[in-house]
Amino acid sequence: MRINFILSEVWIGLRRNLTMTVAVIVTVAVGMAMLGVGFLITTQVNSMKDYWFDKVEVSVFLCSKNSADPDCKGKGATAAEMETLKAKLESMPEVEGVIFENKAAAYKNFQESSASKTLLEVTTAEDMPESFRVKLKNPDISTPVLQAMQGQPGVSSVVNQRDLLGGFFGLLDALRSASYVLAGVVVIASILLIANTVRLSAFNRRRETGIMRLVGASNLYIQLPFVMEGMIAGLIGSVGAAIMLILAKVFVFEEFQTFLAPGSQLQWDSVAWAIVWTLVIGVAICVVASFVTLRRYLRV
Amino acid sequence: MIHFDNVTKVYANQNRPALDHVSVDIDKSEFVFLVGPSGSGKSTFLRLILKEERPNSGAIHVAGKDLARLSNFKVPHLRRRIGCVFQDFRLLPNKNVYENVAFALEVIGKPRRFIRKVVPEVIELVGLEGKAHRMPDELSGGEQQRVAMARAFVNRPMILLADEPTGNIDPATSIGIMKVLDRINRTGTTVVMATHDAAIVDSMRKRVVELEDGKIVRDQSRGVYGQAY
Ligand SMILES: Nc1ncnc2c1ncn2[C@@H]1O[C@H](COP(=O)(O)OP(=O)(O)OP(=O)(O)O)[C@@H](O)[C@H]1O
Ligand SMILES: [Mg+2]
Repeated sequence: MRINFILSEVWIGLRRNLTMTVAVIVTVAVGMAMLGVGFLITTQVNSMKDYWFDKVEVSVFLCSKNSADPDCKGKGATAAEMETLKAKLESMPEVEGVIFENKAAAYKNFQESSASKTLLEVTTAEDMPESFRVKLKNPDISTPVLQAMQGQPGVSSVVNQRDLLGGFFGLLDALRSASYVLAGVVVIASILLIANTVRLSAFNRRRETGIMRLVGASNLYIQLPFVMEGMIAGLIGSVGAAIMLILAKVFVFEEFQTFLAPGSQLQWDSVAWAIVWTLVIGVAICVVASFVTLRRYLRV
Repeated sequence: MIHFDNVTKVYANQNRPALDHVSVDIDKSEFVFLVGPSGSGKSTFLRLILKEERPNSGAIHVAGKDLARLSNFKVPHLRRRIGCVFQDFRLLPNKNVYENVAFALEVIGKPRRFIRKVVPEVIELVGLEGKAHRMPDELSGGEQQRVAMARAFVNRPMILLADEPTGNIDPATSIGIMKVLDRINRTGTTVVMATHDAAIVDSMRKRVVELEDGKIVRDQSRGVYGQAY
């Protein structure tokens, strides 16, 4: 095996087909970056679900003196009303426990769960509403509690945190599906481009390959330069995708994570996994696509 | 060395066979001219020896191997033992004489040291000493054909197939080409040459196999191009 010789053939092939090679590299880079972003969103959503679904509660927000809610009629909840509500909640079979959260506790929770400095600076304890935090036995069965609390005297609003998160996760799931679909489309485009590049390359080098066949070069020797051209283009494209993923982590996910609890942030090891997978998939797609096209255009 | 037994070849979409029940034996270190009008099947005969085409019926043995039973995987090894030259030389225009000859060894994975040793020898054998660094477009047709012969012979094949090697070359230069082929033949290599060149065939007085419409109509040792002449 003459590695030098094959590498020089590969180099000649890549240079001769420069525009097509660049097109392949760009599409592979974009396709693999989309795929990697899909991976990252999946990881992010899973770690956020793990973190949040443990903690979701039904919040029964109480009327305060200057509440804008018409149900409150401008009055704060009285001590008697609060007592009735608490007794009612505790008597319900779906409820595991009820905690009263005053303004100070609400502010403290807010400080802990939000990492955004600007948001913290403009918020004071006085802005925080009082509420009952209702822990459910089964987070999936919340309707009876919601119905029992809705419109009761002294109740400003009832919020199932699960619903808030559900909308948010739905959005993330849609983003992830979108990046997978886009990745699929771009990957198909890159496969077609690779097929065309190999076809052109085989045509450009038909003299060489004809002579190689005639003097008894093995199929491996004849095909390897073409497959390696595809492999190198795939590798460069995937490295481009890796750079894009690192940029996405630094400039998109990290920005976005200032709003997330520390426990659910996307870690660098997930990025590393996404890069390894996209690299393997990107190179594999290019190698397989070149090999399959070669079978059609290079008689051996 | 080459053994055709009742070989018939019909190309796809053709009703007339290109070779029609051809049986012939060519021994080791023989020199054979293959003559006949255009379309009589000479090139087909050579392509069958290389297993570039398969016969529809009949058996072909080359160097003791039954080609029908030779797996595709082994075909390259068969071709390493057969050299080929053509009317159109088939050189690589972006490689010089040395590189064109070395290419044949590089692509079969021969070590660089071996290549450095044998390529100059064979360039000298075909009479191109001192021109190793010329590009093909800096050579005459006759010189280009010598490069092609050097490339075909550099791996010391047992058989050399030549398909109208003098077809693009003037008669005076052709004599030089024939001298090289004769020199190659004298090293023990079997040479089969398809040609239309009556003067060459008549001057060499070698075995002549004549094809017409795919059939062998004459097989004569020390023959001439055509009996009519
Ligand atoms: N690849 C092919 N497909 C179909 N028919 C072919 C093919 N190659 C050759 N033929 C036909 O087979 C017959 C023999 O062709 P071949 O090339 O062997 O003749 P030849 O003796 O070499 O002719 P020439 O002296 O012109 O080179 C011809 O009728 C030709 O048209
Ligand atoms: Mg012919």
